[in-house]
Amino acid sequence: MIEPNKFWWMIKKELISLKRHPARLVSIIAFPIIMILLFGYGMGGEMTDLPIVVVSQSHGDLTDLTLNTIKSTETYHVVEVIDNLNDGKKRVDSGEVKAAIILPADYDDNSSQQKGVTLYLDSSDQMASQIIESSTQGIFYRLSNMVASQTSVSTQDANITPSLSHSMNNFKDDISLHINRIYGNIKYIDFLVPAILGMTIMMSCMMGMGATIAGERETGELARLFMTPTSVSTVIGGKIAAKLLIELLRALILIFMAVLLFNVSIKGGFLQTFIVLVIGALCFVGFGIMLSARTSTQEDYAQISLPFSMPMMFVSGVFYPIETMPWILQKLAYIFPLTYLNDAMRGIMLKGQTLGDVWFDLVVLLGFTLLFFIIGVKRFNRDV
Amino acid sequence: MKNAIETVNLTKVYNNNFRAVNSLNLEIPDKSIFGMLGPNGAGKTTTIKMLTCLIQPTSGKAIVGGYDVQKNPDEVRNLLGMVPQQVSLYKDLTVMENSQLCADYYGVSKDERDARIEDLMELVDIKYAKDKRVGQLSGGQKQKASLVASLVHRPDILFLDEPTIGLDPTTKRTLWDLIRELNDNGHTIILCSHDMHEVDMLCDYVGIINTGNLVAYDTPQGLKDSLLESNKQEMTHALNKISQESDADASTKQDFHNLALKKMSILLKNQDDNIIEAIDNFDNVESIEIARNGRINLRIDGFDDMAVHNVLNQIISSGGIIKSIYTEEPSLEDVFIKSTAEVNEDDRA
Repeated sequence: MIEPNKFWWMIKKELISLKRHPARLVSIIAFPIIMILLFGYGMGGEMTDLPIVVVSQSHGDLTDLTLNTIKSTETYHVVEVIDNLNDGKKRVDSGEVKAAIILPADYDDNSSQQKGVTLYLDSSDQMASQIIESSTQGIFYRLSNMVASQTSVSTQDANITPSLSHSMNNFKDDISLHINRIYGNIKYIDFLVPAILGMTIMMSCMMGMGATIAGERETGELARLFMTPTSVSTVIGGKIAAKLLIELLRALILIFMAVLLFNVSIKGGFLQTFIVLVIGALCFVGFGIMLSARTSTQEDYAQISLPFSMPMMFVSGVFYPIETMPWILQKLAYIFPLTYLNDAMRGIMLKGQTLGDVWFDLVVLLGFTLLFFIIGVKRFNRDV
Repeated sequence: MKNAIETVNLTKVYNNNFRAVNSLNLEIPDKSIFGMLGPNGAGKTTTIKMLTCLIQPTSGKAIVGGYDVQKNPDEVRNLLGMVPQQVSLYKDLTVMENSQLCADYYGVSKDERDARIEDLMELVDIKYAKDKRVGQLSGGQKQKASLVASLVHRPDILFLDEPTIGLDPTTKRTLWDLIRELNDNGHTIILCSHDMHEVDMLCDYVGIINTGNLVAYDTPQGLKDSLLESNKQEMTHALNKISQESDADASTKQDFHNLALKKMSILLKNQDDNIIEAIDNFDNVESIEIARNGRINLRIDGFDDMAVHNVLNQIISSGGIIKSIYTEEPSLEDVFIKSTAEVNEDDRA
């Protein structure tokens, strides 16, 4: 049975501590801002201005048109247009630029049946090379349509072997593709933010709650409470309520910053997003309680929680879709609550789903929460 | 006499089969100050944890204030206060806030709470710091704040775990006075300490625990007297044995003989050779030396109850004027070392 007066003291104590330690308050506000900035700008932004050189060995209208098109593409930053093929390749080899687009000497020759453009590419940078390759394909596809002639682009790997080069002929065809994006044009940051919110809540709830319990056990504060005629559930319940309050403040700041800085859309509405985060926070606070039930020091807790928190961060589909992972990691992902929180968050924020649509994720999260609390309270040791 | 605490075959065996407390039978009289002594790892902390309902006994029984710790833990908790060695108040809360928190956790009514806290603060002289955060207090102030928080629900029994460790002598004496005052007010006090002087000064009864067993229990003076008596018996036995063994070497005989001697130190106002000679010729005096500060250090026959009296008479009758006398009696520390050493030897055997 929970006693409200004792319950309230734990919340009051946390609020007083925060008030008396402005640095802690600043950290609560700054942490989500740093997280969203780091992930948003570091991982979620689009790649633009990738440095390239153009080796132009031809002259004429088509060459001018091609150069203008390349220069006006945001993906590239054309460092220089040169005519020496070896110099262009050297610049790629040395890492000065990411690629060289090589226009052959017969590029402007109307009698030529096939125009062999070569993309000399630094494939050691996987992300950049993929973007350059697809952008270049797009440019020459458009150009080939415009000039109604056969233009071909071949990609040549600068770092590996020429055998990996492949020709991309026959851009011009009769099939037109219409893309119907059912959830709109979603950028990587849009995909990332719901999961970053989930992950931040996971980290701060799990680490914070467990460390608080283990810390108070270490310093004896918990022992004083347990020497009073008070149930374990009242003491722990009070601590959970205090932690939840702070974590929800953090979640609010996270959502606000994501919208403000990255114009992230919350299609399912703010309230539903917030409710999902509350359920997630409760689940991870429970996880922290369960893990800290028998740990006697903060250091012990850090060691115990790390094997859970780290895999959960990388396997639960925060950065990459779970379906693209090896099967063993996919199976592992479905036993981690963060997977369900991420799924529900993306459903609400990206797809505009309702709480009813993501009911399965919520039921699993609540199930985990119940399980963690039962194990946590049962295993909780009054001993200090 | 009514007992505040009684244990019957109280035992705690941890999961790793370590028997921390082994069939402990202990009686702590109501309204007494009881000193719980024992070396590190002896089982004191485990005993206290069982008595304060922090851990469950493996077997046996513990009755605290008339309640069984296993059957009525909340009733027991209401009767207990605890001042731990490490101050366990919230450092970010003030002395007042910490006391209020404890009062609310013990269910003290709001009407009484603040007045009670103010009274306790006056009693322990910490009222001037009531709005200070615990983290900003000195060691002595923290202990006083801890006392207030522990007494706010008016417990019958108060556990003090090394309450004066790390405190300066003045603060230590203030706390000692306070402990006596609390006892006068009717609190039973269980004092765990490694400071033998503190225990000797404060406690009505002392129990020495070693390897989970109660190895000695009496009043402090009773323990010292029993050690003296036990020493006498041992010495007599050893000396008799040695005198019968012609092959015992001289140094062994001397070692046992020296153990039977009592040290006495006298400072005279008018020291002269006649007085020294008179003392030296006295039968009870085994050896005499003059220290650099003029003090006469004697070794006299410890078995003769009249030895000190006779030596002093001899000095006075020789015209000596005594400024100060010091005789070395067995201390509680000697009792502690002997009691715990015996058990350790038994364990090794």
